[in-house]
Amino acid sequence: MYILDMLLFPSLLVLLLTAQANPQSSAQSSFEALAKQADAARSADRLDEALTLYSKGVRLRPTWSDGWWSLGSILYEQDRFLEAQEVFRRFVATAPKPGPGFAFLALCEYETRDYDGSLKHFQSWAKSGSPGNDALIDVAGFHWALLLTRESKFEQALYLLAAKAGKLGDKPALAEAMGLASLRMANVPEDYPPLKREVVWLAGEAAVYSARQDYSRSDEYAQRLATRYPGEANVHYFLGTLLGFQKRFPEAAEEYKKELQISPQNVPAMVELALVQLENYKSDEALPVAERAVILEPKNARAHLAYGKALLATEHLSEAAHELELAKELAPESPLVRSALANAYLRLGRTQEAKRESEAFISLQEKEEVLAPVENKGDASKNKVRPKP
Amino acid sequence: MITGISLLMLALLVSPHQAASPGQNPGSKQSKPAHAGQKTRSFEEVAKAANEAREADRDDDAIKLYQEGLKLRPEWQEGLWYLSTLLYQKERFADSRDLLRRFVTLEPKTGPGWALLGMSEYQTRDYSRALDHLKHAMRNGWEGRKELAQSVFYFVSVLLTRFEQYDDSMTMLFAMMKSGEQPDLIVEPTGLAALHLPLLPSEVPPDRRELIGMAGQGALSIEHHNQAETERLFGAMVASYPNEPGVHFLYGAYLMDVRPEDGIREMRRELEISPSHVGARLRLAEEYIKEQKFEEALGLAEEAVKLAPETAPAHMVLGEALTGKGEAARGLAELETARNQAPESARTHWDLLRAYTSAGRSADAKREKEEIEKLSRPESQQEP
Repeated sequence: MYILDMLLFPSLLVLLLTAQANPQSSAQSSFEALAKQADAARSADRLDEALTLYSKGVRLRPTWSDGWWSLGSILYEQDRFLEAQEVFRRFVATAPKPGPGFAFLALCEYETRDYDGSLKHFQSWAKSGSPGNDALIDVAGFHWALLLTRESKFEQALYLLAAKAGKLGDKPALAEAMGLASLRMANVPEDYPPLKREVVWLAGEAAVYSARQDYSRSDEYAQRLATRYPGEANVHYFLGTLLGFQKRFPEAAEEYKKELQISPQNVPAMVELALVQLENYKSDEALPVAERAVILEPKNARAHLAYGKALLATEHLSEAAHELELAKELAPESPLVRSALANAYLRLGRTQEAKRESEAFISLQEKEEVLAPVENKGDASKNKVRPKP
Repeated sequence: MITGISLLMLALLVSPHQAASPGQNPGSKQSKPAHAGQKTRSFEEVAKAANEAREADRDDDAIKLYQEGLKLRPEWQEGLWYLSTLLYQKERFADSRDLLRRFVTLEPKTGPGWALLGMSEYQTRDYSRALDHLKHAMRNGWEGRKELAQSVFYFVSVLLTRFEQYDDSMTMLFAMMKSGEQPDLIVEPTGLAALHLPLLPSEVPPDRRELIGMAGQGALSIEHHNQAETERLFGAMVASYPNEPGVHFLYGAYLMDVRPEDGIREMRRELEISPSHVGARLRLAEEYIKEQKFEEALGLAEEAVKLAPETAPAHMVLGEALTGKGEAARGLAELETARNQAPESARTHWDLLRAYTSAGRSADAKREKEEIEKLSRPESQQEP
């Protein structure tokens, strides 16, 4: 409610939003002079003055996207996210290439806790090629991952976060984010129950070191986690995934089984158990677990993948192809599904279809499922804003 | 407990020096808040009514009036300040925070403004910004408000622990104890820092409270120089929690100063429980350097640097081990890395002073000496 009051203030923000172009003939020269003064004030770090001048500038010319950009970036640097958010909205509406503006708009919305808006604009940013300098890409990718966790898209979140683990080193915020996603807690760091902090921290440290392939330190935290929180939901599921990364499949299977004793309806644990049992050449054990996962979550692509692979391994070739086709319908961009389907078609003698799926697998294999392709990120140097990490 | 501190602090915050005061009659209590349909009042009238409402403890009226005043004059610093403090008292921390962000852009040199902003951010769980802004408050001074300084020290110390800066946190907590802070307020934060658990006191699970309390009491008792009491407390902690990470390190760190051979034993036990413990390696290496067992020190210090390449003390101890072993050039390089990572460490500057002097680099040695003198000046020391 108070935030709404603030929006009604005749402040800078309102002046900006109610601005009209000056119709006078001298407008052109006065605008150019103003823009120059604003840039000079900003360069000299006279930010209050720059704010006033940019505000006047966009009032004179509401289509001045550089003005909106500068105004938004100053407000952002001052942590005035509510005001910056409105300004970046104007920027993305007026700029010919609004790409980085979507990231800043999303970051502001994250800070003002408009999480749905933020997620939407991170997606717009990704669609425009994830432009921005390295700092922006790091900060935006990190916050996007937090929101993916909140949306229960844990694997996608971990995909983004794991990529940062090697680069960012020992950052407590990264461990916290990875801990939440690893334990499948659909929260942001600002809203999870405080008494879960220790379990999240231990899981996060184990996840960060695992992502950095420092398995001995990952195991140390994993051991602490298992000792401290043996009955906590998703702890054994997570320990199973850690062991799976190290290809310690029999131990991973034991952890998934423990998880299912604690949470018998835990479908991700069923799916991963089925997949590791296939790695353990225990397809007979994988089959009923995967089947149960599919029954419980018929829209879960990875469950269909696991069931399809288990059917394939037990020589139920037609049923396997059918399951994998269902998985493909649900996740057409998954290279794993396409590869398994190619294998099924091949074994059924359906060589043309197998060839088609193999080609799809190859083209998808290197495609990032969450981030935009790297080659589309080339215009980073054009970003003038200095985002706060 | 934290809210209690904050409210205590707020009582001291009601007169910011920095806010330009509009014309007012503080004694008058006749003003009433504006209502719909009432004739529009001037800014001066609204400001006067807001201050009167606040002084008469009519907080809700004051809030509405300050909001009205800020609509008329968005840059009204006194209004921003008082409205922020009132909203903070009402536990409307996000609203308070947003106003304070505007306030500090107008008054960037006000310690209390940054302090209240950091505390609001703490309450909204924006811990990273809270720590930055509370540190900013510490650099800007307290305008004579000792209680405010104590509150900020508390918040900074617990946040440093959450961000895994345990040594810095301990330094602040010991300083708080020496300045007379209530012991029951700092036992738990000290225990968390001492055990290297990056939790806030509000995040401690109930089954952890006993261990953390024992660790905190033991660590604080070291500062009281009561050896028998320290032995008793740490002995009980180790007996109750023999396999808990951090316990043997803490006990060992104490023993290193009184019975080094037992300290070494405890540190070795810690490394069995926590194989990647950097602090245990460094304390062992320091002890071996003291005993001139440079080869043993070197191995441990090298492992510490490998485990924590961005940790200045690891490079410092490695530099000391190398220098002791006679590898002057490598030793200097490590000490310089440590200095670059933590320029405020007097010990590193002392190490460098000696190393440069031995190498005949008098200009470099002189610069280190100047740094040491600068660091030992009273204005470099922080007190709550």
